[in-house]
Amino acid sequence: MKRAPRGIVAAIALACVAGTAPARAGSAGPSAVIRETADAVVAVLNDGALDTAQRRKRIEDIAYERFDFDTISRLVLGRNWKALSPAQQEEFLREFRALLSESYGRRIDRYEQEEVKILGERAEQRGDVTVQTKIVGGQANDLQVDYRLRQKEGVWLVIDVVVEGASLLSNYRSQFAEVWSQGGPETLLKRMRERKIATEPASADAG
Amino acid sequence: MKRGVRAALGALALAGLGCASTPDPWEGMNRGTFWFNERVDRAVLEPVATGWDWILPERVQTSVSNFFDNLFVPIVFVNDFLQAKPVAASQDVGRFVVNTTAGVAGFFDVASRIGIPENDEDFGQTFGRWGCPPGPYLVLPLLGPSSVRDAFGRVGDSASTIYGYFVPWAVTAGLTTVDTVNVRAALLEEIRQDREESLDFYVFVRNAYLENREHRVRDRVVPSDEDDLYYIEDEEEDQP
Repeated sequence: MKRAPRGIVAAIALACVAGTAPARAGSAGPSAVIRETADAVVAVLNDGALDTAQRRKRIEDIAYERFDFDTISRLVLGRNWKALSPAQQEEFLREFRALLSESYGRRIDRYEQEEVKILGERAEQRGDVTVQTKIVGGQANDLQVDYRLRQKEGVWLVIDVVVEGASLLSNYRSQFAEVWSQGGPETLLKRMRERKIATEPASADAG
Repeated sequence: MKRGVRAALGALALAGLGCASTPDPWEGMNRGTFWFNERVDRAVLEPVATGWDWILPERVQTSVSNFFDNLFVPIVFVNDFLQAKPVAASQDVGRFVVNTTAGVAGFFDVASRIGIPENDEDFGQTFGRWGCPPGPYLVLPLLGPSSVRDAFGRVGDSASTIYGYFVPWAVTAGLTTVDTVNVRAALLEEIRQDREESLDFYVFVRNAYLENREHRVRDRVVPSDEDDLYYIEDEEEDQP
């Protein structure tokens, strides 16, 4: 919850990375990754041959490729990550990956006529890069969506999505911390398992 | 989407501005109010909004939303003025004049089409801009998530809702109801998904609300050196 300033280290890191992000050889830069991802998603959404379930599945597949679930899982649990046994870590990773990619698929599937406009990149501490985007058109017009990316084995992968200032990582972190404080890792994992059951048929009030 | 669900705020006499160590010292009370709001939403607001969404085409809903956005522009203007933003304030005047006339009482957002930007300000943001911290998180009955600062902001917002002084309260109440239902209708899917995917919906809303508000206070400019959210603490700090 408390975000301690990292002092001198942060200042130096910031000074070093100020300016543009270096385009490393051999792989697409952060903006290109987001561009490709957005284009791939739009292609799926515009594919009239797919039904809803198929579309969502395709979008989930895209998420699997572009998100660094490993890093996200560690960050979202913070220091609690190390309190999990290797088996629990594996289970958490699996459940959280399913949750996030499902969530992504479902959310994106609601957007139709929208277009993703890339506004620019910003270098962050320790080599991360934030790609700033805006959604143009449709109900979500002018929505500001920032993607934070980190390079892993030469590939830029998404580690956070920040929508109008609200960070996905931060949000799940606070929820997990809350559940953890109530019942520790067992409760957390149990709740994640149960979530799937709770998610099933949404409502009877078909519109 | 930019406007929260607004309404006149009655008695709010809570002190405690500025003590900011935990964002939610009143969690017990807040959770109670949140639970109550959820019950009301599920029993009344969500079903009504579902019907509204089913009956009215999206274009009509957008027009209704435009109408209420336009009614809010004078408040945006006041706050641009209070934050010493003359350019934005003049845009607000232009927007209000264009949309009220050419946009037929605000139902059509002609201003956006001719390139007059929409500004997002309210009293809560102005207080934040002046350096007032949000203070403790606060869930208001029926009105939803807020903070002590933003709750006072709401009082400012409704006090400067000019038409409120000229029309009978019943009209204001009716307009507020329509606005609320219409905003809720736009969020049907969104909120359903958020409820289903969160492990603790109360915490989900609190976190998203607080981060979004500070983002808007900063006029959507993101500080780049923000936090250690993205790095795990160093090894030495770990305990078995």
